[in-house]
Amino acid sequence: MPLLKMSNITKSFFGVNVLNNVDLTVEKGEVHALLGENGAGKSTLMNILGGVYLRDSGTIEFDGEELHHQSIKSAEKAGIAFVHQELTVINNLCVYENLFLNKELVNPLGTVRKKEMIARTEELFNRLGVDMDPTALVGDLDTSRKQLLEIAKSLFADAKLLILDEPTTALNNDEIDHLFKIIERLRQIGKTFIFISHKMPEIFRIAQSYTVLRNSYFIKSGKLSDTNPEEIARLMVGESYANNEIYQARTLGEPIVELENYSGIGFSDVTLSIRQGEVIGLTGLQGSGASDLLQTIFGVKSATGGKLRIFGKEMIHNDTIQNAMRNRVGMLASNRKENSVFPDMNLLENTYIAEHTLNNRSQLIVKENETAKFSEYQRLLNIKANDCGDLITSLSGGNQQKVILARWLNTNAEILLLDNPTQGIDVGAKAEIYKLILELSKSGKTIIVNTLEIPEIQKVADRCVVFYHGTIQAILDHSEITEQTVMIHATQAMRALSNEKADE
Amino acid sequence: MKTKNFFCNKIWNKYNYVLIFLVILTVFLIINGSATTWVSLMNIPRHSAVIGIIALSMGLIILTGDIDLSVGSQLALIGGLTVTVFNGTNSITLSLLFGIGFGGLLGFFNGFLIGRLKMPAFIVTLATMLMFRSIAQTVMNSNKWTIYQLNAKLDQWQNLWKIGNASVPILQIPYLVIIFILVVILMSYMTTNTKFGKRVYAIGSNEKAAHLSGINIWQSRVIVYVIGGILVGFATFLYVANVGSVDPATSGKNYELYAIAGVVIGEISMSGGKGRLSGVFFGAMSFTIIDKIITALGLNPLINDTIKGGILLLAIGVQMLPEAFRKMRKKQI
Repeated sequence: MPLLKMSNITKSFFGVNVLNNVDLTVEKGEVHALLGENGAGKSTLMNILGGVYLRDSGTIEFDGEELHHQSIKSAEKAGIAFVHQELTVINNLCVYENLFLNKELVNPLGTVRKKEMIARTEELFNRLGVDMDPTALVGDLDTSRKQLLEIAKSLFADAKLLILDEPTTALNNDEIDHLFKIIERLRQIGKTFIFISHKMPEIFRIAQSYTVLRNSYFIKSGKLSDTNPEEIARLMVGESYANNEIYQARTLGEPIVELENYSGIGFSDVTLSIRQGEVIGLTGLQGSGASDLLQTIFGVKSATGGKLRIFGKEMIHNDTIQNAMRNRVGMLASNRKENSVFPDMNLLENTYIAEHTLNNRSQLIVKENETAKFSEYQRLLNIKANDCGDLITSLSGGNQQKVILARWLNTNAEILLLDNPTQGIDVGAKAEIYKLILELSKSGKTIIVNTLEIPEIQKVADRCVVFYHGTIQAILDHSEITEQTVMIHATQAMRALSNEKADE
Repeated sequence: MKTKNFFCNKIWNKYNYVLIFLVILTVFLIINGSATTWVSLMNIPRHSAVIGIIALSMGLIILTGDIDLSVGSQLALIGGLTVTVFNGTNSITLSLLFGIGFGGLLGFFNGFLIGRLKMPAFIVTLATMLMFRSIAQTVMNSNKWTIYQLNAKLDQWQNLWKIGNASVPILQIPYLVIIFILVVILMSYMTTNTKFGKRVYAIGSNEKAAHLSGINIWQSRVIVYVIGGILVGFATFLYVANVGSVDPATSGKNYELYAIAGVVIGEISMSGGKGRLSGVFFGAMSFTIIDKIITALGLNPLINDTIKGGILLLAIGVQMLPEAFRKMRKKQI
């Protein structure tokens, strides 16, 4: 009998189905990989299992019992632990204090029994084969150890099933090895894991079976020994429904952004030459280094090596944002709410703030000119707003993003770096943003887009640069861009494939 | 009905500091009744001028999300030295220039530590609050003075005194009031109609986004503190002209708190980015009237701060009520 059997799980948010009759069956003592693209429904399914969301319909059987009204507490009590991608350990406390947080052993007087807690922590670590000092300050530990502590915390609460949500994103190879060793050891003593990851080599290394979700539907599950990375990639993206209608081949100008062995924090050895009017799609898994590259070009972070030339002019490594702006580079930052929007300011002020820093010889603002220019942008970008004096927060996400785009067009930037421009905006607005990208490129702007959504790159990019762990894996021409090829490069499926062949 | 409600809400949200001012003013007029004259009415903005200009400085700094606890001690230090400069030179211009310049210097000191070295504003200005006043006292003590007193025998003393106490002949408006209003207009214009002003709001609204828009955050912070110091220096000059002496032990004591209160009643958000400096004008005057009400009622002056504190709590409560009600209604749905 399987340890976990989720059947016909359905869930909708605001009338949109995010899970349609999804099944998930996990056997005791296995590592089960849960696979799917961003937005396929993996995290919703896991949040239902972990008691964060309530399901609309469907049944969950766990350890021979049916789970009814789920809450985070009841899920924990049943023995399901959700180890989130973001760590929840507290840096200012010791290891053992984190472990015993909220369940401290106390004397009748209310003082903690420190020695006993440390002893029990040591005992647990010995059982797990973890080499960690219980009295070390958590803030001093590296990320993999924090991750281990997080896992230890759930085991301490007697978890039978552990959900690991992309546990390796922040880890380097050695740390991943260490983590995997411990997972394997725990598996052998009967613990069960659901492992969420996009990285194909890891999945084939650590997991025994898999379930693939796509677009809120269950697609397939089985043993990993019966399949190969290419098939998994195909299952994840489905039969490509390439929709190239809006793409048009254009004649491109001279190279204006040239990178030579360009390196920085999060990426290294990037060599790339981008021509005027070109649209480049950068992609890769979360944390692949594409976003770091954009930020370094824009001067947010310092480069550590290599060369960057813009309009033939060489940039210095620790350049500032102002200098990038003067060289006609603009960056639409990722995470709009945190990095772009001024919530207390109106549309006009939000549009003009960057232009003001660039042209500050005259301090006075001529409001009539600005209002007139804003109406132009409003027409050009189709911004739906009543009045330029309204607060930016009164607009929808898509329209907010267009205002930020206007902010950078207004600086006369010729090179636009768009970091995840369609994050958190609805489907219709996404399509509009991509149409705008094409239109801008036709008018001669050079655009570098970083996005995780491959169909979008397919629609607009002249070339697609695929990153893996900070280095370029592949540069694909427009005709070569398919979800499958990109996914294979982005997940390193090829390497996993060759490893497998080598094993044989 | 709904649109009307919406309209009222909008007016309330935008101008509630004016309404609070009018309510307090009405209460004052009722209590003061027969004693109300043009002069006593003009005394309201006149007595608000010094603390009002200091509150404008505070307001500018709070708009960026920071704070300056040292303004009261700045007044004591700048004031003491300005008196000394006047006594030494017999020149109003030099005294004014010294006050402004030295104020700017003290502002730069605060601003450099906070902006460039990224020290927390609260701690830095708490430290300089202690330092500035103590320096003023030490300088006085080492000269064997008991107070910084303008030398009334100098021939310019009369003119200086006029600036602080006389009125425009026919109109009967005190010079201080005219100066106060001009500074309010200047500062309001600077914050709403210049690129620098927009930068101030941007930093207070979302510092990260401001950085990514190319704004030089630390430089802007230093400039804000320098302007703040200049304003305090100017207010101090007016204080000297008005009072004629500075006692480091008492002059400007608690002014940082009164200035913050004026800013808060003037509806500037303590977290920065929200509100207008014109609100500070009414906020500062509301606070002055409260003083006058207490005097008019003939209450024990020791109870003064209790009532001031209470009214501050009341004003904030009234400003926050509509928001709180809205949230409660949302929760019920």
